[in-house]
Amino acid sequence: MRFQSKQMPILFGAAHSISETHWRPSADIYRTRDGWIIKYDLAGVKPEDIEIAIQDSTITVSGFRRDWKLEDGCTYYAMEISYNRFERTIELPCVLDGAEMRMEAREGILMVRLLCRGENP
Amino acid sequence: MSDAETEKLQTLPVLPLKNSVLFPTLLMPVNAGRPSSIAAIESALATEEKEIVVFAQRDASVDEPQAADLYTIGTKAVIKKMARGRGGIEAVLLGVERVVRIKLEQDGAFQRARIRPLPIIEEKSPEIEALHREVIDLATRAVELTQPQAAAGMAQLIASAQSPLRLVYMLAPMFSLELEKEQLLLEAATVADCLRLMHANLSHELQVLELRSKIASEAQTEMSKEQREYLLRQQLRAIQKELGGENPEQNELTLLREGVEKADLPEEVRKEVDRELARLERLPPASPDYNVGRTYLDLVLELPWKKSTEDVLDIGRARQVLDEDHYDLREVKERILEHLGVLKLNPTAKSPILCFVGPPGVGKTSLGQSIARALGRKFERLSLGGLHDEAELRGHRRTYIGAMPGRIIQAIRRAGVNNPVLMLDEVDKIGHDFRGDPAAALLEILDPEQNRTFRDNYIDLPFDLSKVFFVTTANTLDTIARPLLDRMELLRLSGYSEEEKIEIAIRYLIPRQIKEAGLQPEHLVIDREALKAIVSLYTREAGVRQLERAIGRIARKVAVRHAEGKTEPVTIRRDDLAEWLGPRRFSPDQARKQLPPGVATGLAWTETGGDVLYIEATLLPSGRGLTLTGQLGEVMQESARAAQSYIWSHAEELGIDRTLFRRYGVHIHVPAGATPKDGPSAGVTMATALASIYSRFPVRIDTAMTGEITLTGLVLPIGGVKEKVLAARRLGIKRVILPRDNQKDLAELPETVAKEMEFIFADKIEDVLAAAIPQLGKHFATLEQAAI
Repeated sequence: MRFQSKQMPILFGAAHSISETHWRPSADIYRTRDGWIIKYDLAGVKPEDIEIAIQDSTITVSGFRRDWKLEDGCTYYAMEISYNRFERTIELPCVLDGAEMRMEAREGILMVRLLCRGENP
Repeated sequence: MSDAETEKLQTLPVLPLKNSVLFPTLLMPVNAGRPSSIAAIESALATEEKEIVVFAQRDASVDEPQAADLYTIGTKAVIKKMARGRGGIEAVLLGVERVVRIKLEQDGAFQRARIRPLPIIEEKSPEIEALHREVIDLATRAVELTQPQAAAGMAQLIASAQSPLRLVYMLAPMFSLELEKEQLLLEAATVADCLRLMHANLSHELQVLELRSKIASEAQTEMSKEQREYLLRQQLRAIQKELGGENPEQNELTLLREGVEKADLPEEVRKEVDRELARLERLPPASPDYNVGRTYLDLVLELPWKKSTEDVLDIGRARQVLDEDHYDLREVKERILEHLGVLKLNPTAKSPILCFVGPPGVGKTSLGQSIARALGRKFERLSLGGLHDEAELRGHRRTYIGAMPGRIIQAIRRAGVNNPVLMLDEVDKIGHDFRGDPAAALLEILDPEQNRTFRDNYIDLPFDLSKVFFVTTANTLDTIARPLLDRMELLRLSGYSEEEKIEIAIRYLIPRQIKEAGLQPEHLVIDREALKAIVSLYTREAGVRQLERAIGRIARKVAVRHAEGKTEPVTIRRDDLAEWLGPRRFSPDQARKQLPPGVATGLAWTETGGDVLYIEATLLPSGRGLTLTGQLGEVMQESARAAQSYIWSHAEELGIDRTLFRRYGVHIHVPAGATPKDGPSAGVTMATALASIYSRFPVRIDTAMTGEITLTGLVLPIGGVKEKVLAARRLGIKRVILPRDNQKDLAELPETVAKEMEFIFADKIEDVLAAAIPQLGKHFATLEQAAI
């Protein structure tokens, strides 16, 4: 192989995110009787650092995960959690403009409930 | 600086990168070993954002880079993952954005840089679109060249790149571009610039790759051809193994080696053969040298180095065999029997080298076969006629393509024994040119002292030819080189007389032709008179070939009659010959009815036997000197001059008028004018003709003469006496004047002939003249009386 191993493009998810420079939280999507529930794995992210935007049929969750200092004199030995900016855009098979949205953060999971009145498929 | 700009300014720990550039949007694993790098990463990790800035190092060998050692444009990155490894930190960085360094300051163990984002100018234009596609095309081709199996993944990757810029950033690390080129890509002000740079890089890369792949594929074809051959050969070997027999070449060599063990070779030969065999075992069987070596060994093994036939030493039987095959030829037969006798007493005796000289058709070649039969040896014959290349006899050196041993060795090989009777036919007809003189090669072959170790160029080993019984044949000795002649024992087979021919016909030719025609002996009888007529009227030759043909013709005609059903026996009589053989072809030789003064009867020897010549001299009323015509050779012309000088200087004794010499020229002509003639033996005849023309006395018509003369009038001996005498007899000339020294040769004559003839032996020209010209004889007698 003449590919150099020192740098690898991000192969997965690139097609779904607007910017390749942000990390991408995992998400579970549920269909409900009157809309959608989306669960985001966003442990350690303060609710005030999360932004949700809806446009047409896409919902974009973006924000910032900040690390915090545990105690003085401790240093990293290993790090696997992604910090800094994140962004996740999900396209749903319905128009979301005007949908009612409720947020709930529980045990590191962000739950977004979308109610699409009358226009449900 | 505006507030907005100030807001964008950041101060981040610096991670200097050796040998590579981190592009935005790409992940890069880094291994930080330098204390300053570790400190910078740790500092970044301690922040909430995990941000760090990466600058490429201009020179990888600098360990503590300062501001000047780092490019000013770099990449802001987030540390995605990290782990402590042996003596350092392994981290994965994600390039976030392009930044430009405003300031660099030392902060303890590491450096911090004040940076400002440097967004690339993104625009959309047809040019960018075109460049984008071109770059995709080049990159696809390049990947196909480097790793065809990854081409599909590559296509996916390129498709996944949403923007041209990201495509460039993705492609850059895939081709090992130099650091400078990567940095230039990072620094490009606009997307168009960036694409152009990438395009140039890729074109160059593609050229190199294409060249590389061409070289590689050439090497590949070369290799695969050899591999293919190897594979096929392996398969062939396997097939041959299946078919039985181990390794065929090995087998062949084993056979050869067995052959060597079995063959009884002289030590020197054995050594050479072993050497050659060892060489052969090392050679691949496909090499041309292998075949050359094999053929050589085959030949050497086949040669009869020590094999010989046992001689049949029964002299009685040998004599019987020789007599069965040939009539008369006493001298030759005696010589062969002598050799047998010697062999009986001394088995190691050298074989003689005989040379049969005689006209065509006298049985030289068949005599060779007869000798072989009598001795119980094998017979091989090779004709040297027209041979002009020494290599034909001695072979070509093995280095030449298609080299072969010479004819001598080939004949020995055919014979299969080292003591055959080897007949070298037509030794007088060897040519020679720039390729060498075969006669010179024969010198070695025919010399019993040298041919013990005859070295053929091809064999290159000494072969013992000393046991070979060499017999050569020739029609004339004139064209044989003296040294060659010297080595051979000459045996002359002169032409046969009429009686001998008839005898040969009755004993050998008629029975043979009857058999050939498929007749029984009682079916055809040719009576003696008829044979005599055939010999004299239908043939003219020294041998018996024409005679045999004529008899064959009669026999075939008789066979036709038999086939037609007329089976009664046929007897051929003299008068029937015209019916069987057509009109006679020659009128019988006849002596001239009368000889005017100036004509003398000479005798000549030709390759086909003897002949009678009439030498004519006449006086020329005007003119002087001597005119010679009749295709005379130099020797003959000189002998004519000698004759003239003798006559002139002895005019008084001969009773010749001296004034005739002054008044008249003289012309000597020797018919037939179209036949070239040479030799000194007509000297006495020319002197006699001159004496006759000057004295006006005719020469005796019943007298023929031969002999060489000297200026003082001595008569010297000549050759071919038997043929000459037979020729004279054929014409009915019964009186022959011969040099006295030739008296001994008369023993060769058949007794019947000798009895019929009258011989006069001359010491001096006076003896000849006295015997040839009766009037001069009387004149001499009176002179003698006067002297007394």
